[in-house]
Amino acid sequence: MFLKRGAVFLAWTFVAAPLAAQEVPVIERTLSNGMRLVMVERHEQPTIAFGWMARVGSANERPGMTGMAHLFEHMMFKGTKTIGTRNAVRDAELNDLQDKVQAQIREEMSILREKQRRGEIANMMDPKVRTPRLQQLIGEFDRLVQEQRALVVKDEMDKIYTQAGGTGLNASTSTDRTFYIVSLPSNKLELWCWIESDRLANPVFREFYSERDVILEERRQTLESRPDGVVSEAFNALTWMASPYHWEVIGWPSDISQVTREQASEFFATYYAPNNITAILVGDFDPEKAYALAEKYFGRIPANPKGVPDVITMEPPQPAEQRMMAEVETQPSLQVDFKTVPMVHKDAPALQALAGILGGAQMFMGRPGGPGGMRPPTGRLQKSLVLDQKIATSAMAFSRGMKLGGLFTLRVTPVPGRNPADLESKLYAEIEKVAREGVTDEELQRFKNASQVGLYGRLETNTGIRETLAQFLTVGTVEDFGNIQNAIQSLTTDEVKRVAAQYLVKDSRNVLVTTRRASASTAPDDPELAAMPEMMRDRVRAQLEALLKLDKGQLTEQLAALEARAAQMPPQARPAFDYLLKKGRERLQKLEGK
Amino acid sequence: MVVRIALGLTLAASAAFAQIPDRPEKLRFEPITFQTPRVKDYQAKLKNGIPVFVASTGKEGTPLVRVTASWRGGAYLDPKGKEGLAALAGSQMTQGGTATLDAAALEDRLEALAATLTSACGDTNCTLSLQVLEKDLNDGLDLFVQVLTEPAFAQDRLDLAKRLASQRISRRNDDVTSIAGYQLGYLLFGDGFFASAGDTKASIDAITRDDLKAFHARMLHPGNLVVSAAGRLDRKVLLDTLDRKLGTLAPRADAQVSPKVPAPDFPRKPGIYVTDKDAPQAMVRWALPGMRRTDPDWHAAFVLNQVLGGSGFTSRLMKKIRSDEGLTYGVYSTLEPGPYWRGDMTGRVQTKNRSVAYVLRLALDEMRKLREQPVTDEELRVIKDGIIEAFPSQWSSKPVIVTRFADEAREGWPPDWWANYREKVQAVTPADVQRMAQRLLDPQQLVIVAVGKASEMEPGDPDHPGALADVAPLPLVRVPLRDPLTLAPMR
Repeated sequence: MFLKRGAVFLAWTFVAAPLAAQEVPVIERTLSNGMRLVMVERHEQPTIAFGWMARVGSANERPGMTGMAHLFEHMMFKGTKTIGTRNAVRDAELNDLQDKVQAQIREEMSILREKQRRGEIANMMDPKVRTPRLQQLIGEFDRLVQEQRALVVKDEMDKIYTQAGGTGLNASTSTDRTFYIVSLPSNKLELWCWIESDRLANPVFREFYSERDVILEERRQTLESRPDGVVSEAFNALTWMASPYHWEVIGWPSDISQVTREQASEFFATYYAPNNITAILVGDFDPEKAYALAEKYFGRIPANPKGVPDVITMEPPQPAEQRMMAEVETQPSLQVDFKTVPMVHKDAPALQALAGILGGAQMFMGRPGGPGGMRPPTGRLQKSLVLDQKIATSAMAFSRGMKLGGLFTLRVTPVPGRNPADLESKLYAEIEKVAREGVTDEELQRFKNASQVGLYGRLETNTGIRETLAQFLTVGTVEDFGNIQNAIQSLTTDEVKRVAAQYLVKDSRNVLVTTRRASASTAPDDPELAAMPEMMRDRVRAQLEALLKLDKGQLTEQLAALEARAAQMPPQARPAFDYLLKKGRERLQKLEGK
Repeated sequence: MVVRIALGLTLAASAAFAQIPDRPEKLRFEPITFQTPRVKDYQAKLKNGIPVFVASTGKEGTPLVRVTASWRGGAYLDPKGKEGLAALAGSQMTQGGTATLDAAALEDRLEALAATLTSACGDTNCTLSLQVLEKDLNDGLDLFVQVLTEPAFAQDRLDLAKRLASQRISRRNDDVTSIAGYQLGYLLFGDGFFASAGDTKASIDAITRDDLKAFHARMLHPGNLVVSAAGRLDRKVLLDTLDRKLGTLAPRADAQVSPKVPAPDFPRKPGIYVTDKDAPQAMVRWALPGMRRTDPDWHAAFVLNQVLGGSGFTSRLMKKIRSDEGLTYGVYSTLEPGPYWRGDMTGRVQTKNRSVAYVLRLALDEMRKLREQPVTDEELRVIKDGIIEAFPSQWSSKPVIVTRFADEAREGWPPDWWANYREKVQAVTPADVQRMAQRLLDPQQLVIVAVGKASEMEPGDPDHPGALADVAPLPLVRVPLRDPLTLAPMR
């Protein structure tokens, strides 16, 4: 309901005018060994944002060694022949000894794997199922680790950078690249060249095996602890059937815990050669001097004449719609993913525009200062589903282009009490409308402006420029950076209409419907349960939780078993028994869709 | 986007081709001088007395101007039974239209300008921020002033915001991080204090449009406001524009200067508090009484925190618990600034359930070592050099500088606080650090919260024997989850 005065304003459309491009003076050079250097001079502050990327990510892995690119990222902080040890000779011997014990441990794990395959044990990683030899080998290995630890100069690279005023020392791994970053005072250019060329020229993967445990904790923290974490991993695996995007960057737990140092060395030799590496420098430096220093330090690393193998496997066309129905301890939602095109594909800009028009152009503009705040509901989906029909509390659209493919994602949260599956047809109606009738010139111009303003925002700081360049260099070239912006600015409404009709079609849908799992630990106590004595209540709550996790068949069996025992129940247990039976039956009805 | 590719750089033949030294310590660096930004170079006053901090981003800037108004006010002013009022009023300022533009018309106007306007209220302050192209600064500021002075808080948008709030509330027990957050709040501040009191289904239901209007009106007083702005424009042009648009704001009848933020008054009970939650990994947080930033020992305490857990991999906790033991992805400690009362020195770590007891033993042992032995000169030098050398990066851009000065002005900081910061850090000695460890790292004062699978956390890890109850001479107490909708303890 609008105020009368507001209605007058609504009738008047505000017109958006085109914006000018932001100029970024990029200098690009190639060293004698093929390593590339991308530089942007900015002299406002006496700092430099540094980064270098190896064009390798989880897409370069294969089953059995998933998570390797990311494990590698961790290993690159463990030092070199010079950095990180007090005795390089003994350190190397200890690494060899550890490898030998680990090879024996793998033999034992192989036995356990076979037992698990035959159902004799439930989980080969459980400490309780270790063989005596495995337990002994673990002890032996721990002693070698302890001896090495005495020689390790702990996290020495971090210490050197920290003392030099380094900030933001970090690295990240994606499906397509691994990126190592730090910012330093501008007088430390040569220090960066020293440290980074040393870790490319003389790496030592020490503390290799204990780092696998860190990564398992990282996996628990960033994926498994999220209420929807493992479901989103499974949904991604459903969506990508053949592409190496099928697995998460962090990898499957089985692989993370079994990867070997030998595999890591082979990986390094293939993907960390200078001809697969690009460095990005943004800030207060002289490019001539930076180039000369880079040649001096990085130029000493030999190129790999074989180059890097292409990723061959391509995602075949999806033959039919795919669906996942998940019950999770989180709020209900509906997500629809369509596989699209790589970021440098000629259709990627139009898909971006489509996402901006459906999900709101403001999405591309970042947020000025201050915490929180909601995004204004200006996209077609929000206007229709959230404001007009009031069936959703949020509705978003994204288009994400990666190196080998892309995803177009729609995500809707229903209003409380409404089943997310009910929103599907309304969501598709909005897509079909674009495919049928197209978008307006005004909508497209607003997207173009938002995209340009978003880019201004990202180009305001040294780190922002570094990240933006890295994004393009992951999938293409410095030229693509300019070309994609130009392509966005010259898009037509016909192109947007065409990509909607071409890519967002029924057989290409991957649909994830999430509903909240009933859980005794999060639902408020219901009065019947609250009336029971405390001791009994805890037991009932635990039993109920187990009951609610069962699938339809198991639950039917359980209920039958309970009912058969009804007559033997002592009177004091009767309330709890009846309560469980009632809740179980309600659950069964729900599972049967009644 | 124009990319200019410069080709044909010649190799600089020079001293750069001298031999590469075998250790990085042998490199020599030209000194750089960095003048600490001074408040007086950025500060001005509008005609009506509102303090304003303004900077020009110069030729390396983009065509964007950012303007932020902030004022003291927030959840500490929520009436009992209407918890969540400040947060709703904050977000709805920009979501509910104004007296002359309804919500959709305001959003349409902003989108046509490619401008964004966001607002929020936190615990103790509210902000309204504009990002606009410099060519549209006047139009953008007109909308900014309308939203600041005459927000309409449209009912349908408020209803939507309340639905969103209800959904957030219902997710409260979904993950260990969220649960540990509210449990620690209750243990440190008790029930009924704004820093721990969350909104409930009932409190959100009770909030009306009139409540939002009254809440907004009482805070809109020039005596509460602080403004900051940065853009490529000349500083004087920016200042004159702000003066024209905001310098005429006058207090209305119902406006008042916001009262002081109250300090907590709750007798803490140190202990190890366990909340049972079926999760693959536990969240552990702890807190020890800290100090105000005005304390003469602040810099020594800050250095102590960097040694313990404030400096990533160079800190002792991370070295021990992550690098040596592989027990976590990250472990951190923080010395909270405590702008309004003595803050806390807090820590957090996530680890698999059975490792919780061992991780806490390791963390407490690092605290003990800091109390019992002075840090070495070498370790102290690394930490102090790091703080001092990284100092310029704390002032990385003009928007960062003016926002910081505006925040500190609102919080009542001395304007010269940063002037001799590096000298004060440099003066910290090993004895100072040990003295601070003895003052702050007192295990008898610890409040520890562990949220995870209690049946695995409490007995500990067979590979590192020791139960959670034996980690410290503190009581082990089970605290139940709270009902996500009412925040009442669940049993």
